[in-house]
Amino acid sequence: QCDDGEIVIKFSHVTNADNHPKGIAASLLQTRVNEEMNGTACMEVYPNSTLYDDDQVLEAMLQGDVQFAAPSLSKFEQFTKVFRIFDLPFMFKNIEAVDAFQASEAGQAMKESMVRRGVLGLEFWHNGMKQLSANKPLIEPADAQGLKFRVQPSEVLKAQFEALGASPQPMAFSEVYGALQTGVVDGQENTWSNVYGQKFFEVQDGTTETNHGALDYLVVVSTDWWDGLDAGVRDQLATILNEVTTERNAAVAEVDAQARQAILDAGGEIRELTTEQRQMWVDAMLPVWDQFIDDVGQENVDAAQALNANF
Amino acid sequence: MEVAILFLLTVGLMLIGVPIAVALGFSSTLFLLVLSDTSLASVAQSFFQAMDGHYTLLAIPFFILASAFMSTGGVARRIIRFSIACVGHFPGGLAIAGVFACMLFAALSGSSPATVVAIGSIVIAGMRQVGYTKDFAAGVIANAGTLGILIPPSIVMVVYASATDTSVGRMFLAGVIPGILAGVMLMVTIYVMAIVKKLPRGEWRGWGEVAASGRDAAWGLFLIVIILGGIYGGIFTPTEAAAVAAVYAFLIANFVYADMGPLKTAEDRPNLPLWRKPLALVTVFFHKDTKDTMFEAGKLTITLMFIIANALILKHVLTDEQIPQRIATAMLDAGLGPVMFLVIVNVILLIGGQFMEPSGLLVIVAPLVFPIAIELGIDPIHLGIIMVVNMEIGMITPPVGLNLFVTSGVAGMSMMAVVRAALPFLAVLFVFLILVTYVPILSTWLPTMMMGPEIVIR
Amino acid sequence: MAKTPPPDSALGRFVNEFEETCIALILGAMTLITFVNVVLRYGFNTGLIWGLEATSFLFAWLVLFGVSYCVKVTAHLGVDAVTGALPPAWQRGMALAAAAICIAYAALLMKGAWDYWANFANLPQTTGRWFPTGLEEMGRTSYRAWYEVIDIPFPEWLRWIEPLMNEGEHYEKLPRFIPYAILPIGVALLLFRFCQAAWRIWTGHSRSMIVSHEAEDAVEDVAHMNREG
Ligand code: NA
Ligand code: NA
Repeated sequence: QCDDGEIVIKFSHVTNADNHPKGIAASLLQTRVNEEMNGTACMEVYPNSTLYDDDQVLEAMLQGDVQFAAPSLSKFEQFTKVFRIFDLPFMFKNIEAVDAFQASEAGQAMKESMVRRGVLGLEFWHNGMKQLSANKPLIEPADAQGLKFRVQPSEVLKAQFEALGASPQPMAFSEVYGALQTGVVDGQENTWSNVYGQKFFEVQDGTTETNHGALDYLVVVSTDWWDGLDAGVRDQLATILNEVTTERNAAVAEVDAQARQAILDAGGEIRELTTEQRQMWVDAMLPVWDQFIDDVGQENVDAAQALNANF
Repeated sequence: MEVAILFLLTVGLMLIGVPIAVALGFSSTLFLLVLSDTSLASVAQSFFQAMDGHYTLLAIPFFILASAFMSTGGVARRIIRFSIACVGHFPGGLAIAGVFACMLFAALSGSSPATVVAIGSIVIAGMRQVGYTKDFAAGVIANAGTLGILIPPSIVMVVYASATDTSVGRMFLAGVIPGILAGVMLMVTIYVMAIVKKLPRGEWRGWGEVAASGRDAAWGLFLIVIILGGIYGGIFTPTEAAAVAAVYAFLIANFVYADMGPLKTAEDRPNLPLWRKPLALVTVFFHKDTKDTMFEAGKLTITLMFIIANALILKHVLTDEQIPQRIATAMLDAGLGPVMFLVIVNVILLIGGQFMEPSGLLVIVAPLVFPIAIELGIDPIHLGIIMVVNMEIGMITPPVGLNLFVTSGVAGMSMMAVVRAALPFLAVLFVFLILVTYVPILSTWLPTMMMGPEIVIR
Repeated sequence: MAKTPPPDSALGRFVNEFEETCIALILGAMTLITFVNVVLRYGFNTGLIWGLEATSFLFAWLVLFGVSYCVKVTAHLGVDAVTGALPPAWQRGMALAAAAICIAYAALLMKGAWDYWANFANLPQTTGRWFPTGLEEMGRTSYRAWYEVIDIPFPEWLRWIEPLMNEGEHYEKLPRFIPYAILPIGVALLLFRFCQAAWRIWTGHSRSMIVSHEAEDAVEDVAHMNREG
């Protein structure tokens, strides 16, 4: 509970508080803010969508009812289209490339892309690279043809599955496990930690290690609230957040690897692709880029590709 | 302590005759305004999100609609005939058949009051004609009607699943065995009472009647196969199953039984077959019966969702004040074991069930006790069934007992008379509650068999 | 099944018919969209990508539009065990108190509904925490008509609102102020119907805000079969 006189910072997110990369980071942030800014500010974290889901939380933030949120980048569609670059298939080689791009000038500029909508991005938080799973082995792109994949509501992801000849299906997240189990949908895409955390691997034939896209979050605040803070408070908050970000983002590869191993330990099937097989997926999905080049900017794509060479 | 005041205020408002929904919403809004810095706009957002943000709850209007088409469209009548053909010849036969018919209708309908109306309106009159007392008839149906929410599909299970993020499909499976068990316990009780009190029995009309009435009812009963088969066969999600059920019930009611809609004729003449009047395929959409049934289902949905939406505002208060975490900490620190915990849950729900409509109560209580249950290693599906059975009991206990309410209407008796009539069978449900609470395998065996063990994700 | 009190004027009958038809139509649309999506997915491996979102909005429309109708016909559930046992004068007093609470509830919700919706339509919220004390000064972030829904495409015939609401920018998806408009509309109707219901109690035409056991007519048409005498 917060004391009188402290600035109350409500942080609402949708994952658990202790296992998921985002939940862990949020809990760490809460602990540090409440220790180091005691008497000035107080952070209350509401996990598991108990207060708001990802779509409502941005409305509530503009309304001033919540101060911190960290939706996944595809949830900002209504605010800006630049984050579509992270959904574009095979844009980034791995999570290190994503990290380097976000740290670059192009990436940093993206954090301010929503200021005219009243939302400011503070830090990117990683979850990891997305993998594909289905109720049959996915080795070549042709294997996905005709299958129904659950997608997050996102134009890019719809186009990506349509490029494979598959059928994208929107579905409330809470229904996905049951739908995969009974076969209402055939497959889905997600990071290792989500595939493990949601136990999707148990109801799928196997997961193919495609690393075809990035699933990242952006910690956001409303510009009105942020600009209204005392400069000292704002700086201290930004510093703590930055340190938490650096610490947790560095650990995310390990969380990811643990989840991957845990899937194997639990008897889940993981399929690795040969270079040739992977290239087939790239060839099948790459045409999607053209549809969205205007949204994300050719210069950003070029920057991302240049960085890929380093990894 | 604030929470205690909040609950007292809510109950107080209800007792002076404020609608349940308004009592919940008004006291919660006062609390948000006084205790937190939450705006009225966020209360309005919660209200809107009750419908817009809870996809699972969509099953409610669809199941209500399916149920409405089946009662108006003659499914209930045929199920009763089939039930009488099967078990009507036992001592207390018509009463046993009433329970059996309630079980069958429960497998098509998601709601208990709807089950009472559909079956009770026919069976209670029939029982009186062959010599049962009105009290006995009303008591049997009020109780058996509660199976509407225990035997799948079930609106209350949908609400529980939505509130706790558990699987609706699992909840439905979990209700099958307890539902059958509860029905059998009621039937055995009636059988024993019938022998002791020498209650009337019907005559055995032979297997021919069983087959004939079964064939006649089959179109309606096939819905069970569609709902469960569709969900577990991977054709649709539980929410979609409800919509499919509504469409199917619409088709059966209008075109196969034709007890409503453009093909219906005067009482004593057989309804028209579709080929005699193919234009009905178009006119049915503009027919008064169609509109009236949809409108009635809509109205019921609205009153129910008004309560749930306001209960969600109260839940918003509890979340905002981090009450669930505080209660969880307090209870765990007190060294509570699973057995004691379940006793407490039962007591809370039984008391709450006296005042609240079941879905609204679940929306509030489930988030409070769920985290503790998980912490204590209680199966979330088992907890859900316990809650449903408590809600059943709440439905036949005053002052807020939806089943009492509709039974008193159907039977033309005062509420208190129905309460007295329902009492002996209520005892059976209490024994059943204890059984379900402490024998988890009754609830968990079937879902585990069909879908693997429940995974706790949190 | 249930009978609504017969409206006493042509306008009253028209409004009643309109309300009942809307409730039936919205529920029908929700059912059809969901059903069609199942058929499309299972039968044709495709689907209406906006179906899920549209159904959710229609659900909200159903309840928010219909809740005032249910006040008009006294369909909301409540507890009458206590009030029913009191002498008539007390009953009347309590019913009036309950009516006052309902009006206060709807008034608070009205402010909330307006405040929530207003910025989505580029309109000012009200100031004040409990009661509207004025209109806010529109800041940079108070203009939110750009805020679109997730999946429902923007209908072509509505393009003319773009210069009015979105500084001429192109809408890809339906802007949120359209589906959200039911919130202030529905709550305003609710407030109106609560005031009407209070007036009915005041003038002695009605006894309570809630559906009562004696007056329960949802089952009246079958009750005659059981009633004695
Ligand atoms: Na049922
Ligand atoms: Na009760």
